[in-house]
Amino acid sequence: MKNLNAKTQRGSGAEKNDFNVPAVGTAPWRLGVLAFKFLLLTTFSSAVAADLTPSQSEFFESKIRPLLADNCYKCHSAQSEKVKGGLLLDSRDGILNGGDSGPAIVPGDPEKSLLIKAVRYTDSDLQMPKKAKLADDQIAALEQWVRMGAPDPRTAAASAAQKSPGSSKTNHWAWQPVKPVAVPAVADNGWSQSPIDHFIFAKLAEKNLKPNPLADKRTLIRRATFDLIGLPPTPEEVQAFVNDASPDAFAKVVDRLLASPQYGERWGRHWLDVARYSDTKGQPRRFFEDNINPFAWTYRDYVIRSFNEDKPYNVFIMEQIAADRLSTAKKNPTNLAALGFLTVGDHFMGMQNDVLNDRIDVVCKGFLGLTVTCARCHDHKFDPIPQKDYYSLRGIFDSCVEPKLKPVVGTVLVTPEYEAYRNEREKLGQEEANLTTELPKLRKSGDKEAFKQAQRTLQRVEHNIAMLELTNAAAPMRAMTLEDTMRGHDSPVFIRGEAGNRGELAPRRFLQVLSPANRQVYTNGSGRLELAFAIANKNNPLTARVMVNRIWEHHFGAGFVPTPDDFGTMSEPPSHPELLDWLAMNFMTNGWSLKKIHREIMLSSVYQQASASNPRYTEIDPGNRLLWRANTRRLEFEALRDSLLAIGGTLETNLYGPPIPNRALDSNRRTIYNFVDRANIADVLVNFDFADPAMVTGQRYQTTVPQQALFLMNNPLVINLAKRLVAMKDFKDADDDEAKLKFLYDQIYQRQPQPMELQLGLEFVNATQLLGEGTNMVLIVGEPKLNAKGKVAKRQPAPKSTRAVPLTAWQEYAQALLQGNETSFVN
Amino acid sequence: MNPDEHKLVDLEDHFLTRRQFLQRAGMGFGALSLASLLGEGLFTSTAHAMEAEANLLPKTPPLPAKAKHVVHIFAQGAPSHVDTWDYKPSLEKFDGKPIPGIDGVAMASPFKFSKKGKSGIEVSEVFPHIGEQVDDLCVIKSMYTDIPAHEVATIMMNTGSRLVRPSLGSWVLYGLGSENQNMPGFVSLRPGGPPPGGTANWQSSFLPGIYQGVGINTKVPTLNQLIENIHNPNTPLPEQRRQLDLVHKLNELHSQNLQKEAQLESRLEAFEMAFKMQTEATDAFDLSKETQATREAYGRTSQGNQLLITRRLIERGVRFVQVWAGGWDHHQDLEEKLADRAKDIDQPLAAFIQDLKQRGLFDSTLVVWGGEFGRKPVRDRNGGDNPGRDHNAKAFTTVLAGGGVRGGMTYGATDEFGVASVKDKVHVHDLHATILALLGFDHKKLTYRYNGRDFRLTETYGEIIKPVFA
Repeated sequence: MKNLNAKTQRGSGAEKNDFNVPAVGTAPWRLGVLAFKFLLLTTFSSAVAADLTPSQSEFFESKIRPLLADNCYKCHSAQSEKVKGGLLLDSRDGILNGGDSGPAIVPGDPEKSLLIKAVRYTDSDLQMPKKAKLADDQIAALEQWVRMGAPDPRTAAASAAQKSPGSSKTNHWAWQPVKPVAVPAVADNGWSQSPIDHFIFAKLAEKNLKPNPLADKRTLIRRATFDLIGLPPTPEEVQAFVNDASPDAFAKVVDRLLASPQYGERWGRHWLDVARYSDTKGQPRRFFEDNINPFAWTYRDYVIRSFNEDKPYNVFIMEQIAADRLSTAKKNPTNLAALGFLTVGDHFMGMQNDVLNDRIDVVCKGFLGLTVTCARCHDHKFDPIPQKDYYSLRGIFDSCVEPKLKPVVGTVLVTPEYEAYRNEREKLGQEEANLTTELPKLRKSGDKEAFKQAQRTLQRVEHNIAMLELTNAAAPMRAMTLEDTMRGHDSPVFIRGEAGNRGELAPRRFLQVLSPANRQVYTNGSGRLELAFAIANKNNPLTARVMVNRIWEHHFGAGFVPTPDDFGTMSEPPSHPELLDWLAMNFMTNGWSLKKIHREIMLSSVYQQASASNPRYTEIDPGNRLLWRANTRRLEFEALRDSLLAIGGTLETNLYGPPIPNRALDSNRRTIYNFVDRANIADVLVNFDFADPAMVTGQRYQTTVPQQALFLMNNPLVINLAKRLVAMKDFKDADDDEAKLKFLYDQIYQRQPQPMELQLGLEFVNATQLLGEGTNMVLIVGEPKLNAKGKVAKRQPAPKSTRAVPLTAWQEYAQALLQGNETSFVN
Repeated sequence: MNPDEHKLVDLEDHFLTRRQFLQRAGMGFGALSLASLLGEGLFTSTAHAMEAEANLLPKTPPLPAKAKHVVHIFAQGAPSHVDTWDYKPSLEKFDGKPIPGIDGVAMASPFKFSKKGKSGIEVSEVFPHIGEQVDDLCVIKSMYTDIPAHEVATIMMNTGSRLVRPSLGSWVLYGLGSENQNMPGFVSLRPGGPPPGGTANWQSSFLPGIYQGVGINTKVPTLNQLIENIHNPNTPLPEQRRQLDLVHKLNELHSQNLQKEAQLESRLEAFEMAFKMQTEATDAFDLSKETQATREAYGRTSQGNQLLITRRLIERGVRFVQVWAGGWDHHQDLEEKLADRAKDIDQPLAAFIQDLKQRGLFDSTLVVWGGEFGRKPVRDRNGGDNPGRDHNAKAFTTVLAGGGVRGGMTYGATDEFGVASVKDKVHVHDLHATILALLGFDHKKLTYRYNGRDFRLTETYGEIIKPVFA
């Protein structure tokens, strides 16, 4: 969990590794003080333990392993035809035990280490490698490594199997198939409401911890409503739930929320974070296209609709990779919009290799939690992903094209407006075509000025087309599709990632680590459809786990695996591996239904427990990884802004459609419908940790910065809401101050104030105020007025004041409630 | 009554509470700086520890360093090196004739160069004021970059990549924190609309949002429009103070049953900082607080104002200021236009350097002036009678000053005509590595773990240019 201000988290470096995997990939965020001490120990004593810190591991993998492999393994490894001098350098034991001349190294002491002596070439009898002395920086790296205590993740067993980097990690938990898990029996005094609770309780019991009791009903309905639809419950909904004494009262709330169309807007946005959604191309291919993606929104709407329809997740995957090849798209062409998943990325100025890289990245991180793009230039340093695998996927996406004219999806009504649109579109299309044919001729003619002029005109025409498509209400919906080229082709491996440096061909096929021994080569067109099958597959160990982890994360603030887009060996092992598998299995056997998983999770006691903290527990499990309490979570910007609109009664709830082109964020529609410009994200979004559309973002940061406070203190949206609240009829009609106060509490917090809160409020509004001096507006940087002689005039225009009418005490009070933690946090 | 005064004590308490909290949680500042002291290979880990601890508190760099602040004056558009800093007498000899290694005919610089200062470095007449200070400058004549297209190269210069990566300023802020918690730690000043590449030039990318630069259009007419939401037109400060006190009390009541949560505690701090930022940040931009003499020294021009604001920001502890001073794309009319752009920055920059020296800030402030690439020494075919020069990624000049840099020196060289850098070539990555080194960082160790990989500003490149160190 990237909860950057929860200082207590990630405190423990001594957590057990549940899968007996060498903890090479100890995650960085675990480096609290404990881990820090641990690091000191391993640094200055010999690294006998296989546990390496990330920096040690990084050092070994980047400096030492390649060096040994390139220069020494030929004669000193289990693979050597003839092992020289009885010395094996391909395992930790081999190095420590040494060969005929004794141990190769003395950890911590380079001067006493034979290996160092040999590579220094100072002793004429002992000079290695025989062929040629190593480079100075290589020798220095070996010396430093020995000084560090020779941290070495290699075990003897792994050494024998060592073929390519990373293959020693084949026993990593995440590559293992999802298997049915038995629900543990627990003596929990009836706390458990769901099998989920058994897993949670059992883990807590190991540490002698107990979960919190259930939260009160008001907290619960607020939590559920924010979680599922990203809005606060209305006062009436809270009241109805509080009054409903039936045992399935909460289940009814959950079902109502899951059926709400606003569910898709909330959870669709989570998925758009993963899909690096943007309404612009970022870096367009200049003179060939405009920056705006006028139809990106059809993908956004596809996502919202899919969540609302509870589309089976495997179908959701298939469509986003290969909708054009599926019957579902023939039945319902709007599903073609699913391919926006691949095509809404940056255009990298038309640099095709970067575009393909982006598609590989979004598919692999998004569905599989794998950082495959690390293998663009070399074998993956930490995971068993050879460079060749990257180019197998590259071949697939390189065998696809985006059609210039995107297919119309949905019905077109031939109205006068449509006719007008079509005429305009045809006119612009003709201009575009003319310019495009003219340009090469102008280039040849050598008239650079005319050429540039034509380029500029073309750019303007392209922009006009994009704007027409985006803003004209009669413009038909089009899908951002991808199509297979006539014949699929394999990609060569680019050596060191350099496009000009071509190696062997990589056949189009799936990743080695997730494939059976007889890996199939793809033959069906580009291979996208086969790739989609391989991912949306019950036998794929990652697909269901990764998605279940994402859902869990958005309900609890952190996933079992805290890095939702990376399940590789560098990720922290799951907090509850058995529960993760139980949910993944449950997810797949229940038709990959997301709504069923939500329901399963939300009807558990662990979801419904209170958020109260406990100092003793905080010391044992500072990050609440074991879930002995509910986490307090800050609302994302969308949920905060949408809530403010909802509280003021101005939120428009119409679904779908083109984005609001106005970037001022002043519309009354939900924030998901705002125009997202990946090259120009509004400051306010950045300040609230919006997901950067340049990358796959499975989890947003949760920073707390002054700019967020400034938004609540000074933004007109908040100030106007305060004014609106005290202008409401119920407020004005209230009998007395106490009733007014209660109205505001109900409206903003959906609860009644406690006596102390009442008292504070009454004191505040009744105190007579002396209005002091506020900030003054002063003209600055603007150019000073000059006099007739061109000198700075003595008399400058008076600075303009923008001071508005001061808020009344009640308005200020309402705004104070909006600034309170309760507005921005769910607990 | 000063509304801030009576709150100072309380505010201090909050910090104490927070510090105690940090110590309780075993993540005190002591541990962090100890880890960084251990140096060698450990800073990486420290950086990770900070990941869980993203904040803007000042941090000690792992290596000794003089520079504490950076001012990057970005001459966007790609200034011609052979007309500013890189004198090529051969171009005069070959004027109008073909020269080796490049298509087209040589174009002599329309400007005169002369030796300046004790160091005798040759400076173009377009920089009369800056030329007087050449003994404080380190002129790197052998810069080169990858792609001669403005937007890519601009983003490259500011982020070390043409892909979307954290900007130089974000890395610096991540590494060093800020000395002033009531101000943004990284500010980007521009006189008007966004530059090519837009916010990508000051973005934090995968670094947490608190390291993002705050982009400011210095052309907006009033102080209050400079920073988003910095001013509340409806509520005077004392009233807002009263309101904030109420918020704190209500939060206290609300969080009683949650026990103190770090996240909620930092939120309280964030509100206090925001409150102070309203006056302090606004004050930093208020040039009416400067004397007439100072205003005149900088010149009352948009660049004069920007650099004066920059000095006020640096004085207040802002870590990194990016100053956009562009307009250098001279395909034609070079003689007139380049001279104009040079004039825009000449007096302000000279005044800025002098001002920093007078205030004792020069040694701790690294000043960088330069563009995204250079220009060809031949005539741009489009220039007609008023010629200019086309793009050239193979050679350009970047000037450093202050912050631990040796003054009065040149480094590297281009070939006889200025077509390409040939001696002691300096790539953008090398410049970045050097800037980080001047701030006390090994560029290979200032890393951030993102998606299972440690990223750094210089990717897999970068050599530190040691000779420029004072």
